[in-house]
Amino acid sequence: MTAALPVLIVLTSLVPACVTFFLAQDSHRLRNGLNLSGAVLKLALIVWMLFAVAGGASYEATLPLAPGLVILLRVDALALLFISLSAALWFATTIYAIAYFGKKAELSRFFGFFSLCVAATTGLALSGSLISFFIFFELLTLSTWPLVAHKQDKPSLAAARAYLAYALPGSAALLWAIIWLESATGPVLFTDPPDLSVLEPGALRAIFALFIIGVGVKAALVPLHGWLPAAMAAPAPVSALLHAVAVVKAGAFGVVRVIYDVFGAGNVVALGVGWPLAVLASVTILWGSLRALQQDEIKKRLAYSTVSQVSYIILGAALASPLAMIGGLVHLIHQGLMKITLFFCAGIYDERAGVKKITGLNGMGRRLPWTSVCFSLGAMGMIGLPPMAGFVSKFYLGLGGLQAGAPWVLGVLAASTLLNAAYFLPLLYRLWVLPAPEDAKGDERAPGLVVPAVVTAAASLGVGLLAASPISPLSWATLIVTREYGP
Amino acid sequence: MTALYSGTFLPLGVLVWPLLVGLVAMVVWSRGALWVLPLAPVPALGFVVAGAPGSVVVPDLLLGVHLGIVPGGALLLGMTALVWTVAGMHAALTLRAGPQAAVFAGFWCVTLAGNLGVFLAGDIVTFYLAFAAVSLAAWFLVIHERTQKALAAGRQYITLAVLGEAALLVGLMIGAAAAEDLHIASVRAALVDAPLGPLGVAALVLGFGIKAGMVPLHLWLPVAHPAAPVPGSAVLSGAIVNAGLIGMMLFVPDGTGWGDVLVAAGLVGGFGAALWGLTQRNPKAVLAYSTISQMGLMLMLVGAGSAGVAYYAFHHGLAKAALFLCVGVMAAAQTPRQRGATLGLVVLVALSVAGLPLTGGGVAKLAGKQGLPDALSLVLTLSSMTTTLVLVWFVLRLAQAPAPPLAPSPLWRSLFAGAAVLGGLALVAPWAVWGHATGLPTGYPAQPANMFAGIWPLLAGLGAAALIPGQRLPEYPPGDILALLRWRGGGWSGRAGAARSAAPRRHWRRAVLRALLHVRRLETHMRPWPRAGWVLIVTALTFSGLVLWTL
Repeated sequence: MTAALPVLIVLTSLVPACVTFFLAQDSHRLRNGLNLSGAVLKLALIVWMLFAVAGGASYEATLPLAPGLVILLRVDALALLFISLSAALWFATTIYAIAYFGKKAELSRFFGFFSLCVAATTGLALSGSLISFFIFFELLTLSTWPLVAHKQDKPSLAAARAYLAYALPGSAALLWAIIWLESATGPVLFTDPPDLSVLEPGALRAIFALFIIGVGVKAALVPLHGWLPAAMAAPAPVSALLHAVAVVKAGAFGVVRVIYDVFGAGNVVALGVGWPLAVLASVTILWGSLRALQQDEIKKRLAYSTVSQVSYIILGAALASPLAMIGGLVHLIHQGLMKITLFFCAGIYDERAGVKKITGLNGMGRRLPWTSVCFSLGAMGMIGLPPMAGFVSKFYLGLGGLQAGAPWVLGVLAASTLLNAAYFLPLLYRLWVLPAPEDAKGDERAPGLVVPAVVTAAASLGVGLLAASPISPLSWATLIVTREYGP
Repeated sequence: MTALYSGTFLPLGVLVWPLLVGLVAMVVWSRGALWVLPLAPVPALGFVVAGAPGSVVVPDLLLGVHLGIVPGGALLLGMTALVWTVAGMHAALTLRAGPQAAVFAGFWCVTLAGNLGVFLAGDIVTFYLAFAAVSLAAWFLVIHERTQKALAAGRQYITLAVLGEAALLVGLMIGAAAAEDLHIASVRAALVDAPLGPLGVAALVLGFGIKAGMVPLHLWLPVAHPAAPVPGSAVLSGAIVNAGLIGMMLFVPDGTGWGDVLVAAGLVGGFGAALWGLTQRNPKAVLAYSTISQMGLMLMLVGAGSAGVAYYAFHHGLAKAALFLCVGVMAAAQTPRQRGATLGLVVLVALSVAGLPLTGGGVAKLAGKQGLPDALSLVLTLSSMTTTLVLVWFVLRLAQAPAPPLAPSPLWRSLFAGAAVLGGLALVAPWAVWGHATGLPTGYPAQPANMFAGIWPLLAGLGAAALIPGQRLPEYPPGDILALLRWRGGGWSGRAGAARSAAPRRHWRRAVLRALLHVRRLETHMRPWPRAGWVLIVTALTFSGLVLWTL
C-alpha cells in the first residue's frame, strides 16, 4: 500500500485524463462525473497522507523506465505542500470549468488535457529524482499547449506558439544542466544530495545558471516571462490553473527543489549564486508590478501581477535563511489561493457581464456583490494587508531577508506593497465607489462560477487569519523547513 | 494540542462586536444601517468602566493574538468609545439612509474596531492589523459624500495612508527581526540596539506621524477631515488621530534621539498649525488645523517623556469631537436661541481646549507638564495663546456660517444634547480621573501659580484675538504646503489658480510616465528572447556532440 500510494495519487488524475479523451463530446455527465470523482479521490488521499506525513511517514515508489532510468515518486513534506494545493485547486477549477464551458465544443479534448496537466504537476511534485522531475516537467509543457490554444482563434494560437517558443529552450537548458551535473555525479536523488566537490565552482555556477534558466522560464522570471501575459488569450479556467497551480508554480517549485535538494542551501550560499538570484527575483517583483500598472485589461493586469508575486517564492528560496524559506514556501500556497480567486472573478466579470477591461468594472460591486467581495479580498491579499494570506508571506519574507543579512529586501517588499496598492486599489475604487454606466447589465446567477470563487477567497482569508494554527499552510511550511532543511 | 485561548474573552469581544454590528448594517439590515452605529462601541465602554479587566491570548489566530489594555490605553480607549458612540448617534440622526449609508455604516464599524484595537493589541501583528483597519477603512468616511472635493481628499488620504502602512511594516519587521519576538514591548526594546534600529524607528515615526498629523506629514489632514460628513470629521479628529499617538507612545524607544525629533516637529506643528489655521475660512478646516496643533503638542510631550500624554489626549479627543459635532449642530439650528446656545457650548469647550484653569483642558495641561523640562513646560503654557487665537477664529467663522433652510426642529435638540454630553465630559471627566491618572493631590490645579500660568496666556491670546476683526487675514486653501506649491504667487483665485497648480504636478506625472514608457520599451526588446533560446539549444547540441566525441 505505502509503495502504491504515490502512484495512485498520480493515477487519480491520469486515469480520468486518458479516459476523457475517448468520451463523446456530448456525454457531459460521464465526463464531469469522472473528473470530479478523480479530484475528490485525490483530495481524500492527500488529506490522509497529510496526517501520516505529519506523523513522520514517507512513501516511495519506483517505476523502471529504461535500463538505468527509473521514475522515482516520493511523498515528502515539500511535495505534499505542492500537491495539496494542486489537488484542492484542481477540484475548485474543475467545478468552475464545468460551469464556465457549459455545452461548448471540444470539451473532451479540453478536460483530457486539463487532467493530464494536473497529473503532470502532481508527478512533478512527487518526483524524487532529477530525471523524473524532467520527464514530468516536459509532460507539463506539452499538456498545457492544447489548453492555451483551446479557443483555436488567432490570438490563442499565437499565444500557444509563444509559449512553446519560450518553454522548449527552457527545457533544453534544463536537460543540459541535468546531463552536465549527472555526468559528473551520477543520478541525483533529492533525498541524497549529490557530492558537488567533483566539479569546479565555475562549472557548478554554470550548471546552476542553466537550471535557473530552465525552470525560470516556467516561473516567468524576468526576462523569461514574455509568454505568460500572452497566454492570457486562453479561457479563464486555464488562466486560473496556469497561474495558481500548474505551470508557473511548477517553475517556482523547481527553483525550490534545485536550491534545496540538488545544490543544498549551504552550497548555494558558498558558491555565491544565491544573492544574484535574489536580485533577479527582486527585479522580477518590481518589473511585473510596473508592467501591471500599465495594463488596462483585467486579465493582463493579473498576469503581470503573477509574474511579480511568483518571484516572492523564488526570493524566499534564494535568500536561504529559514524564515525566508518559510515565507517563500508558504507563498506557494497563499499566492495560489489568492490568484485563483482573482482569475475566477475575472472570468465571472467576462462571462456574466461581458467586461474585460478595467473601465468596465465601474459600479460592478452592486451588480455582482459576491464576486466583487471575493475580488476585493484577493486584491487586498496581494497588497499584503492583514489578515489576508499575502501579509503572512510578506512578513516572513521580510524577517527572512533580515535574517539572511539582506536588509534591501525590505525595500523591495515595501515598494512591491506600494505598487500592488497602486494597481489594485483603483480596481476596488471602480468596483465600489464609481457609479455604473446607464446600460450596465450582468448578474451572478451561476453558482458553479461563484461558489468556487467564494470558497477560494474564504480560504485565502482563513489561512491568513489562522496562520498560527497547527493545520495552516504556515505551520506546514515551518515543519518542512525545520524537519528537512533545518539546522 | 494547546488550548484554543487563555485568559478572558472580554478584550476580543470588544473588537469583534463592532465587526458584527458592521456586518448587520451592511448585509442584514441595510435600511436601518445607521441606527445600529451607536451600539457598536458599547462593549468597549463597558470594558473601560469595569476597569479594563483581563487579557486574552489566542495562539492560533494570525501569528498569535495577544489582547489586553496597553499602558496608558484605558483613558484613550474610554475616550474613543465615548466619541464613537456620540458621533454614531449624530450620524444616525443626520445622514441620509440608502445603500450609500450601508457602506458608510459598515466601514464605520471596521474603522471603530481598528481604532479600539490599537489600544488593546499586545503583539505587533494584531497592532498592525488594527492600524490598517482604522487607517484604510476610514477612507470610506472621507469620501462618503462622493463630491469632487471629497473624492480628491480621499485620493490624498489613501495615498498617504498606504504609504504609512508600508513604512510601518518595514519598521515592524526590523523590530521583530531584532527582537525575535512579536510582543510590542520586546520590539520597542530591541529597536534600541538593532543594527538597523534607527531605520526602523524612522519608518515607524513616518507611519505613525502620517496618522497623527505630525508636521510635515500632516498634509492630508486639513483636506480630509473637513471633507468627511460631520460625524466622520468628529471621529477622525477626536479619535482616529490618536492611533498615531499611541503608536508613538508604544514603539518609539527612549534615549535614541528620536524624542528630540518628535519635540522639534511637535513645536513646529504646535504653534505653526495654530497660526496657519487663521488663513482658513471653512470652520471645519480651522478646527483641523487646531487638531494638528494639539497633536503637535502631544507629540512634543511624547518626545520629552511627559507622564501625562494619555491624560492630555483624553481631554483633547472629547473636546475636539464635541467641537466638530457643534459644526453639525450649528447647521441644524434654526432659531437665534438655538444658534446662541450652540455658540455658548462651543465657547465653553474652546476655553477648555485653550487651557482655562480648573476646566478639563486646564488640568490636562498641568498633567502634561509632569516630567517635562522647564523650558518645554513654559512652551506648553505659551501654546495657550495660539490655541486661543485659532479657536476664537473658529468661533467667529462658525458664527458667520449661514443659517440653513428649514430642518426639523427636534433634530437640533438631540444633536445638541450629544455634543453637550461630549463637551461636558471634556470639561469635567478629567477631574474625575485626576487623582487616579496623575497621582497629584486634588488641590494642585487650584494653586495660585498654576492658576496664573493658565490664565495669562489665555488672556494674552484673547487680546491678540481682539485685533482680528480689524485685520484682513490672508486666505489659503487647506493643505498648506501642497497648496502653497500650487499657489506660486499671484494669489489663489479659483480656476486660474488650479490651472497654474497643475504645472508642477504635470511635470512630475510626465516623469513617471516616461519611466513607465522605458519599462515598456525594454520589454519589447525582450520579445526576441525565444530566439536566443534556440541559439542556446543549438549550442547545447554542439556541446553535447563535442562531449560525446571526446569520450
